[in-house]
Amino acid sequence: MRFPSEKSTKESLVALAMLLPSLIFLTAFTYWPILRSLYFSFHDVMLGSNKIYFLGWENYERVLTDALFWKSFRNTAFYTLITIPAAIICALLLAVALDTKIRGVALYRSAFFYPVMIPSVAAGMVWVFLYAPGYGPINGMMDILGLPKLEWLYSSEWALPAIMIMSIWKYSGYFMLILLAALQLVPRDLYEAAKLDGVSTWHQLIHITIPLISPTIYFVVIIGILHSYQIFDYVFVMTQGGPADSTNVLTLYIYQNAFQYQDIGFASTVANMLLLFIGILIALIAATLGRRVHYLGS
Amino acid sequence: MKPSFLKKYGLHAILFPVAILWISPLIWILVTSVKTRIEVFDSSSGLLPQNFIWENYPSAMSVAPFGTYMVNSFLVTGGILICQIVTISLAAYAFARLTFPFKNVIFSLFLLQIMFPIYAIFLTNFITVRELGLMNSLPAMIVPFIASGYGTFMLRQAFRQVPTELSDAAKLDGCGHLSTLWHVYLPLVRPTLIAFAIISIVTHWNDYMWPLLVTNSESVRTLPIGLGLLAKSDSGADWTRLMAATVIVISPLLLLFVIFQRRFVDSFMHAGLK
Repeated sequence: MRFPSEKSTKESLVALAMLLPSLIFLTAFTYWPILRSLYFSFHDVMLGSNKIYFLGWENYERVLTDALFWKSFRNTAFYTLITIPAAIICALLLAVALDTKIRGVALYRSAFFYPVMIPSVAAGMVWVFLYAPGYGPINGMMDILGLPKLEWLYSSEWALPAIMIMSIWKYSGYFMLILLAALQLVPRDLYEAAKLDGVSTWHQLIHITIPLISPTIYFVVIIGILHSYQIFDYVFVMTQGGPADSTNVLTLYIYQNAFQYQDIGFASTVANMLLLFIGILIALIAATLGRRVHYLGS
Repeated sequence: MKPSFLKKYGLHAILFPVAILWISPLIWILVTSVKTRIEVFDSSSGLLPQNFIWENYPSAMSVAPFGTYMVNSFLVTGGILICQIVTISLAAYAFARLTFPFKNVIFSLFLLQIMFPIYAIFLTNFITVRELGLMNSLPAMIVPFIASGYGTFMLRQAFRQVPTELSDAAKLDGCGHLSTLWHVYLPLVRPTLIAFAIISIVTHWNDYMWPLLVTNSESVRTLPIGLGLLAKSDSGADWTRLMAATVIVISPLLLLFVIFQRRFVDSFMHAGLK
């Protein structure tokens, strides 16, 4: 039997000391909150009160029969499942177009990327202005193009799509940049060979480019899903969840329950459902897209 | 072989209008900030203002303490970055160069943090920060972001590229782990540190939700929170002043981006790949 030598014990202690600062903050502000949220969800806890009552599964039963929860859930899922693929497709097309020798690549890249630098609150506010039904430039353009003017953020039908369009503008440039880095690693002679064989640009994209950069696409999908949490900022600034809760999303619903109704127990339950949803989504993507990536990579 | 006319300009014909579409919100902000209020609501007045009205800027500066907001934003973003650099360099060194029990389990705990952004766990963090008595202070806006699994991962990858001969030589010279980290490793991974710093600065300079939750007085608010408050009190009545305020809020990062364009682009481009 091998006993740990003095040297390896010392090294472990050094490692512990070096990890400690990170571990303290990681525990206090990531893992402890998750455990606590789980604990709160089984209790009746009010904001600012020290009394806690055990409830069992009551909060979960309430969540599952709560119409507004399901509405926020549908809005969150709708936003994520449409915005992220749309932004990635947009980003991929831009990246492929910019992975050429055209002039002004740097200018184009900056034009698509700069929205990342703009704070979500500023972006949201400016788009409220752009979407203004009476004097906003978007309705002005629609008028010129002969399209019907829309009420945008004031209509329960168009408010969420309006925020989705804004999000595509905000995130495509970021995804584009990550995809562009992957595209630059694809060997040029593959395209040359394809061109000699008379393969069209479209088929090159589908059969050469996309399979070769699929690990990066997979990565961007995960990053995109995690960024979709940020919809809280936009909804908070642009619509406050309205009109008629048509833009209420789970993060906002957690906020409302916690800070307007002071119901920490119920808000924690909604937060856990959100984590569960994102967890399942990422697991599904890992099982489908992730496996495919692995297959192509081997 | 000469590319045909269509090949040469066809791509521009598609990309150029899309690029214009993309920068039009920025142009709209800039143009509105020098318009009169009447011009904003008059759709027949065209895109450009009759005269450039610069008064909107001093007016925006006078309705809210943007100077204080700017200092707070600077302190919070800088504070987060400095703390992060300390925690991630120490942790990344341990993961890259030391052997210890449960290394993989602990490393996955670091990686898994990426799955739990503040938007997912703000509620219980709010309660923790309140219990710690940090509400309405600058540290409240810093503490949740000090440990960075993502930064640790980025730096560990970079540290692993450092040849072990270099650290062995440092050890022979009598350097301990800390001085090896400081004198050998950190100088060699400067590009990675800069990339991480840029991403961290862009993220936290723009943070909205968390600072909104933990602040309630002018003296500790950051730029995005100040802008949000101004927007709320204006409620669309004075777009010209609000757009001037927006220019003030977005210009520091945009200027840095214009000046260090290559660095910014490289950082975001390669952050996800290694």
